Amino acid sequence: MFSRMAPRGRSGLGRSLAELGLLLLAILVLLDGTVLSLEAATSSEIDTHEGKPGTHKNTSKKSFPVLGIKYDDVSVPFEISLWVLLASLMKLGFHLIPRLSNVVPESCLLISVGLLVGGILKLARDEVPPVLSDRIFFLCLLPPIILDAGYFLPIRPFVENIGTILMFAVVGTLWNAFFVGGLIYAVCQIAQDKYSEIDLSNIGILPCLLFGSIISAVDPVAVLAVFEEIHINELLHILVFGESLLNDAVTVVLYHLFEEFMESGSVSAVDALLGLVSFLIVALGGVLVGAFYGILAAFTSRFTSHTRVIEPLFVFLYSYMAYLSAEVFHLSGIMSLIACGAVMRPYVEANISHKSHTTIKYFLKMWSSVSETLIFIFLGVATVEGEHHWNWVFLTSTVVLCLVARVIGVVGLTFIINKFRIVKLTTKDQFIIAYGGLRGAIAFSLGFILHSEHKRIFLTAIITVIFFTVFVQGMTIKPLVELLAVKKKHEAKRSINEEIHTRFLDHLLTGIEDICGHYGHHHWKNKLNRFNKKYVKKILIAGDRSKEPQLIAFYHKLEMKNAIQMVESGGGSKLNSTFPSTVSMQNIQPKIHSPPSARPSERALPQLTKGREEEIRQILRTNLQKTRQRLQSYNRHTLVVDPDEEGFDDLILKKRRMMELDWKLKQMTNYLTVPRPQGSPTMSRARMASGRNTDFIPAQQKKGNKQSSDSQAYVKPGAENVPTIKIDLASPQSPDSVRLLDEVVQDQGLTMSLPSSSSRAYKTSGKDDGRDQQKLLRCLSDPGPDVDDDEDYDDDEPVPT
Amino acid sequence: MGSSRSSLRGVPDGQQLLQETGCEPERSGRLGWFCLGLRSEDLEAELSENPIGDRIVGAFFQPGQETVDFPSFVRVLAHFRPTEKNWTRDGVQPEPANSRNRKLKFAFQLYDQDRDGKISRTELLQVLREMLGLQVTEEQLQSIAERAIQEADLDRDDAICFDEFRKSLEKVDIDHKMSVRFLE
Repeated sequence: MFSRMAPRGRSGLGRSLAELGLLLLAILVLLDGTVLSLEAATSSEIDTHEGKPGTHKNTSKKSFPVLGIKYDDVSVPFEISLWVLLASLMKLGFHLIPRLSNVVPESCLLISVGLLVGGILKLARDEVPPVLSDRIFFLCLLPPIILDAGYFLPIRPFVENIGTILMFAVVGTLWNAFFVGGLIYAVCQIAQDKYSEIDLSNIGILPCLLFGSIISAVDPVAVLAVFEEIHINELLHILVFGESLLNDAVTVVLYHLFEEFMESGSVSAVDALLGLVSFLIVALGGVLVGAFYGILAAFTSRFTSHTRVIEPLFVFLYSYMAYLSAEVFHLSGIMSLIACGAVMRPYVEANISHKSHTTIKYFLKMWSSVSETLIFIFLGVATVEGEHHWNWVFLTSTVVLCLVARVIGVVGLTFIINKFRIVKLTTKDQFIIAYGGLRGAIAFSLGFILHSEHKRIFLTAIITVIFFTVFVQGMTIKPLVELLAVKKKHEAKRSINEEIHTRFLDHLLTGIEDICGHYGHHHWKNKLNRFNKKYVKKILIAGDRSKEPQLIAFYHKLEMKNAIQMVESGGGSKLNSTFPSTVSMQNIQPKIHSPPSARPSERALPQLTKGREEEIRQILRTNLQKTRQRLQSYNRHTLVVDPDEEGFDDLILKKRRMMELDWKLKQMTNYLTVPRPQGSPTMSRARMASGRNTDFIPAQQKKGNKQSSDSQAYVKPGAENVPTIKIDLASPQSPDSVRLLDEVVQDQGLTMSLPSSSSRAYKTSGKDDGRDQQKLLRCLSDPGPDVDDDEDYDDDEPVPT
Repeated sequence: MGSSRSSLRGVPDGQQLLQETGCEPERSGRLGWFCLGLRSEDLEAELSENPIGDRIVGAFFQPGQETVDFPSFVRVLAHFRPTEKNWTRDGVQPEPANSRNRKLKFAFQLYDQDRDGKISRTELLQVLREMLGLQVTEEQLQSIAERAIQEADLDRDDAICFDEFRKSLEKVDIDHKMSVRFLE
């Protein structure tokens, strides 16, 4: 365009420049005017608002305010966004320094940042920095973390260990609370620090017990933050984590109980009994509320097939409503949230689209990550703010008592629990469980909303314990895990074999239990599954997916993952430059006729009978169906196919479509491989990889093909040795690809000896050749940068934060 | 299932059986009452709803036998005792029935009906057909079987031998899964 303007001459250019300059000048003048008149404008605006038409003429003519500052209106969202931004930037920063994030857990770093920021704010503004109000914490920051935990809770290990978890959560927390509360009271009575201004003996038994109940609860946020980085085995993880989730009910009940007692001033036996009843109501009520909302969400998701966009919204809203409803009735909101997520998940996942599933997963991870960061930062800030009452006796005894209580509790409980467990907990396990009892922000918030006169000293003690557990225990748990050689988490995903065999074993064990007459674990699980299949699934899952057995669903999921992987890795391919030129028919046709030496194979082409061709086509098609799972897509046609389809039937359909496209491509590439293209780099790469002469013999040549004419999907493996090639997503020059080629060579299934020795390499059966073709074509494509980045597609593993 | 207390005296080779299987006489006695001369129909009645019921029943019976006597019954059930963690392989004693290896072997034999040491594709298809029934198409079954074999078959003989079976299950906690608590 500029070339067209140039001939207009310098005058034109000069004119436009001048115009630009004038415009700029005008703007500057206006700005100046506005800045100067800003004060006048604002004041006169007020004047004009008060006095109406009469004064309007009297005011000086103000210029239109181009630039103004209006901070108060946006101050609240602005500050919130600023905090969240700060938190996220901090998180970013930590992961850029790899050594730091290996040694120090994230929670410690975040608390330190909070301390720093709080300190700066305090010095700069000399006023109280924004504090972690309990309402913000309980209503906004905590639910995402818990929902994330509940939705992705691994149900099978959780339910298998539910007895142990409940023992630790209920009995363990009770023990902790009473032990710490009681002994701290004793310490207060005995100790007297002459230099402290606080009179410890003033603190009654009830406040002490209240304090004990606040501080005894293991915190899910802190546990999650630390345990995610150490990757211990599933059993320990679910034990500590499950305990931290379920002890919320106990904490809520104890807290309210002791608060009530403090108000009323006296305790009676009836009250204790009522407390017990209240505990049952709180726990079970929370679970029921959660389950109710979960079923509602599942039912709603049944009808969302036409409005896929808002599917994630339903999941989030129903869960949040479950939490809030439970909080209304003083039930355990955390348990309600967990129950809602766990109940809802299998049905919702069967109903919603793949995209919605991804959305839910990533939103949950994002929110929970941000919440966690904010919580820790605020913890640091809140430490700086507020006066602290230091009393060394109280603080040290609190910390010591907490540790001791935890150790005794865990050891004692394990002794009892091991009598009922099949897989016993070893000493190492017990140590990790005891050491993993971290306290966190929930304890702080509960302490914050205390109405006691000793609130300050309690808060200080709570903060001390939190800091101790998070910093000392959090930092040392990773080296200890390594030192004690605790079993780590298995990294890989479930294979279809595991799934099949696990189901088989389930049936087997159910059968054995039926024989023994022993109504055990498997018996009840079987009954639940049957009930689920018969009634519940029909109601909650849309369409005919309700009849789909779980194994099939799992298999489809695996296939889908593979399909997506295939398309994605093919997407990074750089073949576009070379391939289309070779694929296009125009280029191919001349090549066939151009090579000087007419190879016997070319002449064989037109002589192929129709029937034979049909056979071979069938064979190749069936093989495509088999190897589809592993091959990369190597042309742009398959990339166009949208992998994120909505239904599983579509997957089958698209598979067929892809197969047909591939068949067409294969036909074209048959011609491609006959001559030897000279300059193409990809072909030379393939040549190097194969280590042999790349003289392919097209499929059509195999007249002596002894393949059975069975056009059914499966070729019986009995007679022929059907080679199964596992082509993994490796680069062309990798040893894998060469090895596979060797295996193809060694297979003696359907050999046909050909005159040239070099062509012996590329075998004879139509099947093999089909695979070879694909192998070569795979060589042509670049596998792409992140071939094995399939963490994203595993549902059960948390996305690393 | 009727059961009453009976002592081990009525059972031939009681002591040897105890040593071999590790089952306590009291527990095994409880089962022994109805086990003497149990026929396959009796067992089948219990397992009518179980998809692999007839395989389980078949596992109790030695090939060719019509009834199962108490020792064989206990021997089979002994596989399902919870594993002891402190058992070490010292080569002198025979491997106890409830070790992980023996448990897996038992499960493997349930798949491998023709006892040739491998789970062929047809056998796997049969198992899948039994477990999934009429809910899936033949094509789906075959793709699953195909994928399963492709994943597990390392020596490319198109069948799963015991080692491959064991390898594919190395991540599953067999000790926990194949244990019935009551048999301690």
